[in-house]
Amino acid sequence: MRPSLRTLAGLALAGFLVLPLLPLVAWSVARGWRFPALMPDQVSAQAWTFALSSQAGVLASFATTTLIATATTLLALLVGLPAGRALGLYRFRGRGLVLLLLLAPALLPGIAVVFGLHGILLRLGLAGTMPGVILAHLIPVLPYMTLVMTAVFARFDPAFEQQARSLGATPLQTFRSVTLPAIMPGLMIACLFAFLVSWSQYLLTLAVGAGRVQTLPLLLFSFASAGRNDITAAIALLYILPGLLILAVTARRITGRGAALTERLHP
Amino acid sequence: MLRSLATLLLLSTAALADTADGEALKAMSWDQIVDKARGGTVNWFMWGGSDTINAYVSGYVADRLRADYGITLNRVPITDAADIVNQVLSEKEAGVTDAGSVDLIWINGENFRSMKQADLAFCGYTDLLPNDALVNWDNPAIANDFGVPVDGCEVPWNTVQFAFAHDSAVVTDPPRDIASLLDWIKANPGRFTYPAPPDFTGSAFLRHVLIHAAGGPDSLLGPFDQATFDTTAAKTWAILNEIEPFLWREGATYPTTVTQLNELFANGEVDFSFNYDPAQFGLAVQAGTWPETTRSFGLTDGTIGNTNYTLIPFNSPNKAAAMVVQNLLLSGEAQLEKAKPEVWGAAPAIEVARTGPEVQDGLAAIKTHPSVVPAADLAKAALPELQADWLTAIEKGWAENVGN
Repeated sequence: MRPSLRTLAGLALAGFLVLPLLPLVAWSVARGWRFPALMPDQVSAQAWTFALSSQAGVLASFATTTLIATATTLLALLVGLPAGRALGLYRFRGRGLVLLLLLAPALLPGIAVVFGLHGILLRLGLAGTMPGVILAHLIPVLPYMTLVMTAVFARFDPAFEQQARSLGATPLQTFRSVTLPAIMPGLMIACLFAFLVSWSQYLLTLAVGAGRVQTLPLLLFSFASAGRNDITAAIALLYILPGLLILAVTARRITGRGAALTERLHP
Repeated sequence: MLRSLATLLLLSTAALADTADGEALKAMSWDQIVDKARGGTVNWFMWGGSDTINAYVSGYVADRLRADYGITLNRVPITDAADIVNQVLSEKEAGVTDAGSVDLIWINGENFRSMKQADLAFCGYTDLLPNDALVNWDNPAIANDFGVPVDGCEVPWNTVQFAFAHDSAVVTDPPRDIASLLDWIKANPGRFTYPAPPDFTGSAFLRHVLIHAAGGPDSLLGPFDQATFDTTAAKTWAILNEIEPFLWREGATYPTTVTQLNELFANGEVDFSFNYDPAQFGLAVQAGTWPETTRSFGLTDGTIGNTNYTLIPFNSPNKAAAMVVQNLLLSGEAQLEKAKPEVWGAAPAIEVARTGPEVQDGLAAIKTHPSVVPAADLAKAALPELQADWLTAIEKGWAENVGN
């Protein structure tokens, strides 16, 4: 009884995730699909031909978006890993305040900060540049990174590190052989979150990038708002690709368990 | 990481061949300007919703710029030029006077007025462009953008005239003037709607009703007049409130953009769409979005025409290259290319008689898309565009009296 119920639930979940994508696939190859027709009049590759042509800028934009999301993730990791360790392992004065400040960008609506931010970056000469957009993306990305890493380190037992050090390992060796394997699954999840949060930014990119940094969400919206369902669908399918890819690559690793993880909260 | 960030920073600024000083350019000859322009990059912010227009700009125009001048054209797709006006304005407020992010904008109407009023446009250079000679600046419809004098602050690109589209398989005999359109709406409940202002196209439809209510455009031309507006507007709101229960969804809601109206039309939920640029009808049919039986028409009491332009912001760092782009866009060859229905189908903004024989023959040989009413037919009954102040008053009045 139990396995079949689980299979059913799994199938339902998969269907729930996949079904909304099917109309996208149909739209991307549809030519003349009007109400009340159930199927498109004709099947055509015109949307894909356009989306993949160099003139459309979709591929260039794909590269830009990947670069920005990757850079944002790596930068966030530089800050989020030590911050998460400090917040997860130690009790210190003002810890609640730090957590609140870290959460603030996730709680505040983006539109409230975006215009002030544009002004600041403009004065710094960073508006309309890729570094400017990466900096701006760090604002919504850092809370995710830090909070996930805080949760990871809250279950981390530093006694394992002390053991390694007492056996003569250097700090770097300790990190590589003890700490990193233990936090790897959590680290993967944090990076996945960070990448996808940056990948899906629209408003921040539009305002800070001043239209010159063309990420995929901007391009997608430009066609969606012009009523080109076929091209929008083709770009949308390209858009979800990295998310699926990263998930497929990391799925196995994020379920792993490390020896240095304890189930209880470390004091 | 720091090093790659620094590289990124360098990459993003190194490409600028700085020609921010517009006054210096105005003192130069065209050959000198072209020399300055070589190797430059132009960030052209334009509505990006049509793949064919995009392909014309990123293909034909960009290829010629690269081949002839070594200029890189970076087409920046946008959804609303008003956002870009605000962007240039915030750059000005932040003191960015020579390193703006926008080099060229596709613009007209209220957005042009905003830019001109706030001194955001680079002005007084258009006579330097060799192809400026092809422009008939004596034509008031070219020299004035929605009633605002152009004053050398922008360069015409296309002329358009408002037209209606219908599916000839559904509506065989569409109404040909506003009065009979209003009757048709009442006789066919739920089959008509218009985008709510301030949508550009919805606002243009309103002006046709306003001109109808005024009994012709004459009393509405010239600067804004509150007394005339009050009487005419009252009649207009009465007409629009009278037809409201007969509109799509009984007028409880309106489409907010012309894109939504186009989608309603494509799906047969309403029987008419309309556009300032009738070439869009042909493009929609070619894209497979609209039925092949789509036809379009003007009104016997006239439809409003206007011109759209390209403008260089005051703080563009690539003014020389942007001027070369504008000059190329004005050339007979480029205007002919975009007049081809499979490319765009846009009517030229230049005086055809002033172009060379090849361009003239090419334009004469063009057969407009069957779904697009020929510009010459529309031109037989043309209405002038009202000044921008009227537009603001109409849009505000509609929201208070009809769309409430």
